[in-house]
Amino acid sequence: MPSLTKPNFPPPPTKSDSLWRAPPGVPRRHSCRRCNLFTILLAASLANAAPTLSFHVMGSDPGSWPAILSSIGLSASAPGDVLVIPTGTQASFEECQSRIERGAVLIIEGQSPLAESFGFHATTKPHVIVRSVEDVRSPKLPIVWEKPLDVPVFEIPKEARVFAAERWQGVPLMAGFKRAKGAVLWIAASPGPYGYERFPYIPQALTDLGLEAPFRSERLWAFFDSAYRSRVDIDYFAARWKASGIGALHVAAWHYWERDPQADDYLRKLIEACHRNGIVVYAWLELPHVSEKFWDQHPEWREKTALLQDAQLDWRKLMNLTNRAAFAEVSKGARDLIGRFDWDGVNLAELYFESLEGFSNPARMTPFNDDVRAGFRLKSGFDPIELWSIKAKQASEIAQFVDFRADLARRQQAEWLAQIDDIRKTKPHLDLALTHVDDRFDTTMHEKIGADASRLLPMLSSHDFTFLIEDPATIWNLGPQRYPQIAARYAGLTPSQDKLAIDINVVERYQDVYPTKQQTGTELFELVHTASASFPRVALYFENSILPPDLALLSAAASSVDRAEMVGGKLVVESRRGAGIPWQGPALVDGRPWPVLNGKTLWLPRGPHSVEPSAKPITLEILDFNGDLKSAKVISNGLEFAYQSSARALATLEHAPGKVEIDGAEVKPELAGNVLILPRGQHLVTLTN
Amino acid sequence: MIGIILVALTAALAAAQTPDPAYAPLQKAYDALRAKDYDRAVDAFQQAIKISPDRPAMRKDLAYTLLKIGENEAARDQFAEAMRLDPRDDHVAFEYAFLCYETKQQAIARRIFDRIRKMGNTTAADAFENIDRPLREGIARWTDALKMSPDNFSAHEELARLAEQRDELSLAADHYRKAWTLRPDRRSLLLDLGRVFHEMSRNEEAQAALLAASRGAEPRVAEQARELLPKRYPYVYEFHRALALDPRNLELRRELAYLHIEMKNRADAEKEFRIVVDSAPNDLLSVAQLGLLHWTRGDQEGALPLLQRVLSGGDLELAERVRTAMKTPESLQRRETKSAGSDQARLLGEKSLEKGYLQDALKYFRIAHENDAQDYGVMLKLGWTYNMLKDDQEAVRWFALARQSPDPSIASEASRAWRNLQPDTERFRTTVWVFPVFSTRWNDLFAYAQAKTELRLANPWLRPYLSVRLVGDSRGAVDLANYGPQYLSERSVILAAGVATKAFHGATGWFEAGESLRSNPGHVLPDYRGGVSYLKGFGQLLTKGAHGAFAETNDDGIYVSRFNKDTLLYSQNRAGFTLRNTQLYWNANATVDMQGQYWANTVETGPGIKFKFEGARVPLLFSLNLLRGAYLINQGNPRAPNFNDLRIGVWYAFTH
Repeated sequence: MPSLTKPNFPPPPTKSDSLWRAPPGVPRRHSCRRCNLFTILLAASLANAAPTLSFHVMGSDPGSWPAILSSIGLSASAPGDVLVIPTGTQASFEECQSRIERGAVLIIEGQSPLAESFGFHATTKPHVIVRSVEDVRSPKLPIVWEKPLDVPVFEIPKEARVFAAERWQGVPLMAGFKRAKGAVLWIAASPGPYGYERFPYIPQALTDLGLEAPFRSERLWAFFDSAYRSRVDIDYFAARWKASGIGALHVAAWHYWERDPQADDYLRKLIEACHRNGIVVYAWLELPHVSEKFWDQHPEWREKTALLQDAQLDWRKLMNLTNRAAFAEVSKGARDLIGRFDWDGVNLAELYFESLEGFSNPARMTPFNDDVRAGFRLKSGFDPIELWSIKAKQASEIAQFVDFRADLARRQQAEWLAQIDDIRKTKPHLDLALTHVDDRFDTTMHEKIGADASRLLPMLSSHDFTFLIEDPATIWNLGPQRYPQIAARYAGLTPSQDKLAIDINVVERYQDVYPTKQQTGTELFELVHTASASFPRVALYFENSILPPDLALLSAAASSVDRAEMVGGKLVVESRRGAGIPWQGPALVDGRPWPVLNGKTLWLPRGPHSVEPSAKPITLEILDFNGDLKSAKVISNGLEFAYQSSARALATLEHAPGKVEIDGAEVKPELAGNVLILPRGQHLVTLTN
Repeated sequence: MIGIILVALTAALAAAQTPDPAYAPLQKAYDALRAKDYDRAVDAFQQAIKISPDRPAMRKDLAYTLLKIGENEAARDQFAEAMRLDPRDDHVAFEYAFLCYETKQQAIARRIFDRIRKMGNTTAADAFENIDRPLREGIARWTDALKMSPDNFSAHEELARLAEQRDELSLAADHYRKAWTLRPDRRSLLLDLGRVFHEMSRNEEAQAALLAASRGAEPRVAEQARELLPKRYPYVYEFHRALALDPRNLELRRELAYLHIEMKNRADAEKEFRIVVDSAPNDLLSVAQLGLLHWTRGDQEGALPLLQRVLSGGDLELAERVRTAMKTPESLQRRETKSAGSDQARLLGEKSLEKGYLQDALKYFRIAHENDAQDYGVMLKLGWTYNMLKDDQEAVRWFALARQSPDPSIASEASRAWRNLQPDTERFRTTVWVFPVFSTRWNDLFAYAQAKTELRLANPWLRPYLSVRLVGDSRGAVDLANYGPQYLSERSVILAAGVATKAFHGATGWFEAGESLRSNPGHVLPDYRGGVSYLKGFGQLLTKGAHGAFAETNDDGIYVSRFNKDTLLYSQNRAGFTLRNTQLYWNANATVDMQGQYWANTVETGPGIKFKFEGARVPLLFSLNLLRGAYLINQGNPRAPNFNDLRIGVWYAFTH
């Protein structure tokens, strides 16, 4: 496979060298046959994988380039496999040309003598005012610039491919071409302060020019609603999700609340396909929405708004779970739903009240069913409906109801956690996640919907669940730097930091946002990358809304690697939660044969590890592993590995093992295709042929 | 014989069985489908469709393949096309409707199911009910909510959306408008309104909503609106309608104000700028423009406080422009940034001018100028357009502005045009011409000259003038046998007052009354003369840079009281070739009169040359004509019926 970063000769790397290629004029060593063999092997593996590791932005102001390029895993390091020449920076054409010939990717901004040298000429034609852009990847996607820009009309070299153009006049704005082992990407203007204001798909353009992202992760969670995927080929999609770095699917379970042979068959096939592809599946519940049919059958248990109308708000049809009869019926239905499918976990999501408009809109505010009103009247002496009566209540009385409501939400959450715990007695492999809107960063959520994380997080010490923080819609317009801030707000609330996760809503935002209505390209990658660095787990809402051009780089964006460099001829990678690196052929990790690799990717556990090519093939390999790998080693006639996983762990094997031992005890392997299903928790597994 | 027929039939059949050109890509598509390689299958189906675009079956198969990979919108579009190709296929209509529903096009889905259910189809009836019921109930629920909470924005919005999906367009429009009234910051509601009005064929209201959305905050909404608006520039009344809907849209109002300026509706412009300035006192550009409008109508008292605000406002560039604009107000109109429409308008203007659509050209150039008031090229084009529209007063104004262009070619062209036209627009215009000519036939130098001062009136068609003519020669009289002295020319100075019409397609009418002062003192004769003059040239006339064939005619019908109240017709025609500053041509002249005087009935023909010296300080035009002539009436002719004549003349003229 041709590669941009394939070296001319097998390089004898030194500490100061670029990882993947030899600087010009470095002589080859021929000191011994062993060295030669090593070099050939190294070249074989690195050249085939040939990822690009680093970037360098010339000049004193790097702008948003570090944000763009690090969002897909590249790290800042001179001289850089990707070299950026911002507008106004002087660079020698000969030097750039030489770098390209050796495999570098050159990015040039705007109008400059260097751009001219590479064939990007500003003509004397009248300038265009750019407001809208059309990108080849998604021509129908409206890409609108918040601030229009006066841009010259450029002529581009014949061999260049236009990636983006001004929408109305078709004037090229982003184009590039491959040359020798490298490539040139040119953009007509700087990418903007955050890196995505003008050209969302710069990373994709770079991959079109041959750049391969250096790392992968398969830790993403994604929400799934079969209403959007009723006629798809599930196997095709399961493989696509896996390739995009999705390790768990949270399936909208309310569609399966009632038994239906056709729907149940679809769900079973979905779960099987996911398991075969190493993806675990959670039942995603949206209580107090139960199901369409449940709503129709039980008008007496419907939730009420402050206008005392049935609470059908957007797609959710809310039920009154304060009512004991309703609760009992829903509990029975939930047990049936969880019991009749091979779920790996349950996600209790958004179990609180409506709405984001808070007290300003009684038509959307809940809960005002008779049970809640009676309970509050008993406690406070007045009907909460009176909060909107002619005789308006005081702030203190509103606060009373806000507090009562938040406590009610907490009690309901605790009640349902207990329900799931009870179900776990018969299905101990079930993981549990609680999706809860953030009310620490956006503190208005407490009053608007009754969310109160501080009342819920202490339960992490008594219940085994993941607390999945949902980005409230009110802050979807903010940039990726909100995630470290959100993480910091929760750090003091619980010692169980490893149990926190963040949910990114990839949807059309109601705010006036630019350049795209929903997050895509660099913006999405920056969000995912920053969130992955701030939280142990990142969930995406939802798989259907992720635009196809983003899928290929999502896995790279989700990786979180702190260090990657060549030390003494070995690649040293230090990651927070494990990482995959492009790799072909056998390998030694920390000097020992490594069994977790699949011909394209080598999977490393967290922490620092060195990787080098190996000449010796092994007999049994784990091709892919869905869990936190702690260690792995090759043993006689097999392999041994340790892992930790909050859900069942799925190990994709080259072939079925002859014998499986878990924590020293032989077990009958549970297989889905060539995927070995392993218990949740921390375990040591021995596989032999 | 039978054998031959069979061979022929076989050949014909073989020819008739042309292989399906889409077969190969279709085969690839089905092979890929079998291998579950959907991406490859989609590519191959698309290739096949490109070859045979009218086969619904291929569209269906492509759609089903797209469904496998979750491309529901693309699949929907293929079913739509299949439905168009085969409208009787209810199965396709069903698929299309279901996909419309899944891809948020509920209204279309509802309409299709409604159509099919009316033919007795129960599945369609169920599907229709599944869509219609929630819409119906939702409308009822939000209607009730609004009874209890009439100013509830989200209830209005929700109700409008449900009503739109249920094709209750009037209800939808009503509630979108109410939602917009409650939350004018939600500019996307204008798009919703525009869409619904359009569906209702209330096109003027749709236009107003979209025009309002296309200007102002939220660039995304503005871009979407622009996409839906017609390509032409909006009319003033459309601005007014949009402002009635969105009165706080200052960007829209400002644009209307500029449009008024372009249209010379200065009072309206002032009114709109006043509203803008009152609402946005920090909008210095509008403050400056308003100030200049006051200034140009002589209201210095009103202008100075506004202009002072600009001069002390901290925007140095604008302040400088104000200083300049107090001399040339147009330069103020330059926008902060050059809009995308500017170039487009200019290009459209040029195309319109090229094709002769002068009013369109004028409109586009005005827009281009409004977008970038310092584009001297546009000013020049405006000058030419007005010139071609016969509005030379406006043309001169634009040429005068374009003369200031830093681009020498534009400045030079504009200066030349300005010099040509400017005198026409002055109150008084004086033209002086002198034409001495030497004739070998008469061996005499004749001199003709006139100085004429015209007065330009409000009525552009008539121009009164005062004139001094000089007619004379150097030789005086010749003595011919039996005829006594024959004067070759009168020697007179004729003082006259007259009136001339404006040239119309090259023709000018004129009449003057005066006194002829003969060379012998005290000899004064009344002189009344008038007539029609026609001048027309074709091809490459003697102008700078001209090169090529030409033809021209100069025809006069003239009544002269002193010549025994005779009326003469002169026709001088030349055709030839222009080479830079020289013309080589052939003459064909004729003169006739009403009274049949021999000297007034001649024909002449022969070669000629005209030339001028490029760069000469004095614009002299030299001519040399070698003519062979004949008298058409010889009764009373003391000379031979034919003659030869070499005439050498110099033409000099200027206008001031």
